[in-house]
Amino acid sequence: MSDGSGAGTGRLIQVDDITRVFHVGGEEVRALRGVTFGISRGEWVAIIGQSGSGKSTMMNVLGCLDTPTSGRYMLNGKDVSRMSDDELAVIRNVEIGFIFQTFQLLPKETALANVELPLVYRGMAAKERRERAKAALDKVQLTHRMHHRPNELSGGQRQRVAIARALVSEPSMLLADEPTGNLDSATGEEIVRLFEQLHQAGHTLVLVTHEPKLAARCPRAIRLSDGEIVADGPGREVAMGVAGPMVAGV
Amino acid sequence: MKNATSLRVDVLEGARIAVFSLRANRLRTVLTTLGIGIGVATLLAIVGIIQGLNTSFHRQLASFGANTLYVSKFPWMIKGDWWKYRNRKNFTLEQLPRLRAMAPFITAMSPSVSRLSDVSYGGEQMSSVRIQGVNHEYLGIAGFDITGGRFITESDEEVTRPVAVLGADVAERLFPGISPVGRSIRVDNRSFQVVGTLSRKGKVVNESMDLLVLIPFKTFYSNFGKGRPFEIAMAVADASQVRMAEDQLIGILRRLRGTEPGQPDDFNINKPEAMAQTYAQLTGALYGVAVGVGLITLLVGGIGIMNIMLVSVRERTREIGVRRALGARKRTIVVQFLMEAASVSAVGGLLGTTVGLGTAKVVSLITPLAADVQTSTVLGGVFFAALVGLLFGIWPAARAANLDPVEALRYE
Repeated sequence: MSDGSGAGTGRLIQVDDITRVFHVGGEEVRALRGVTFGISRGEWVAIIGQSGSGKSTMMNVLGCLDTPTSGRYMLNGKDVSRMSDDELAVIRNVEIGFIFQTFQLLPKETALANVELPLVYRGMAAKERRERAKAALDKVQLTHRMHHRPNELSGGQRQRVAIARALVSEPSMLLADEPTGNLDSATGEEIVRLFEQLHQAGHTLVLVTHEPKLAARCPRAIRLSDGEIVADGPGREVAMGVAGPMVAGV
Repeated sequence: MKNATSLRVDVLEGARIAVFSLRANRLRTVLTTLGIGIGVATLLAIVGIIQGLNTSFHRQLASFGANTLYVSKFPWMIKGDWWKYRNRKNFTLEQLPRLRAMAPFITAMSPSVSRLSDVSYGGEQMSSVRIQGVNHEYLGIAGFDITGGRFITESDEEVTRPVAVLGADVAERLFPGISPVGRSIRVDNRSFQVVGTLSRKGKVVNESMDLLVLIPFKTFYSNFGKGRPFEIAMAVADASQVRMAEDQLIGILRRLRGTEPGQPDDFNINKPEAMAQTYAQLTGALYGVAVGVGLITLLVGGIGIMNIMLVSVRERTREIGVRRALGARKRTIVVQFLMEAASVSAVGGLLGTTVGLGTAKVVSLITPLAADVQTSTVLGGVFFAALVGLLFGIWPAARAANLDPVEALRYE
């Protein structure tokens, strides 16, 4: 079981007292209110919560798509909470592999070109890019569909292309947002198995979901409510609400 | 170094996406391209035709001879009161040898007087032919060559011989296929013997320089009346001396004509070059208006590009979000959209150049206007089109780059 203190070093992810405040129509919305946790290399963690709990904001901050209003976020030894827009772009490219609920593939490009994309922004030569993208598609068993466009692929295949795209740049962590949300249960199960394999292969996975069933499959889960952590413990327990509050003051 | 590498990546990837996206929206691309193309075509066609006019005008002026001056009581281009010039004293033939003695820098000098007459040979008649009385030195001033026979001689002058040298138009029209030398033509029912023919000079401002008959000056006076005011055509050794000659001539002519100090000159020194200036003033305004019209057309094309680019940014909001999430920087997105805008414009510019040049060429073939497009104009046209694309692409590109990645990913 992980402790929630911010003292941990050598962690892949360490967030300390993160807040995120939005101003909507003159009103202040506090989406995150002092969140602190750490994730070690090789962990598989689910972040769960109802809609409005702050889990999407948490994901955007973890994914360096957004920056916290206050607090510190260390990713792979770098303080990314105060980085410039361009620096964050590089961090996203190098450290993070995104997997989205709606796959977010470029519809007019082939599966192979979609997988190559992160490497394009890294400035890699075309030949090497292609080789790596093929290897990534091989990991998700889709080499035979690499020249197809997303609309010629099934939902499960699209998500596997997206996973290949996340894997291709060999990031520090894979960040998945409701990865099974748009899939039927059988296909969803297929994707979860793929995550299990990736976890066993040593990848760090952070999965944002509102589905307790999915969270229960993860070794560790963090539950957010009203922008605060209300539980942090083994996935099954947190998902079923058995795990007690981990953060002081709750 | 890293920055240079990533800019290269941005440009290469930007260009690839631009081509990809333009090909994916063919009809839209063609229509946008047309907008800018029509602008460039209009501009180039107009500029081409005007440049053609200018070039041919200057070429024609050069045929007058760059080293020549024409002294007269009338200016070539009369501005204001004609009577003021009409009432000036005439030059007299007696003044010519004195002028010659006072102005040793003049290498050739001839009085010149003319009228329009009917000219005929056999059954063939031509009307409104310029009959010009000149002396034997005129050939070296006017820039003609003799193509057959000889020119007017001093002895023709002395004995007022009724001889004529024909301009190319007259020779060809009255004597198709045969040599006119030795034959007799009639000018206003007086008989003249043809002794020579002149080379062709072409047209100046659409007026033929070859529709003329040269006869000895004294012969002109004795046949068509003395007392007609004449101008004095003169040549200096080369064009660089024209200015100096002009300055000295003013003093010499004032002395010759007894102009009181303080009085304005009562004569004009006409030069082909001065005509060019008047011409430039006349066409300058036309040029301005025409270029203005072309620029407005380009502006409309540019707004078309901006419109399409804004639509494109909106359509591809999610794509922009995905690219940003995967590591594209703001600059990468800006370059991507600028490349798209600039390539549409450049293709439009190229198309417009082709059509514009073609139009100018066709116009020069079916009308007397000679189109002449200079390389600088073509390059300017394409460059300008691309610039228009870039300028009008900046705003949409900036909008794309400034999209919040989180919002963009969520965009439906």
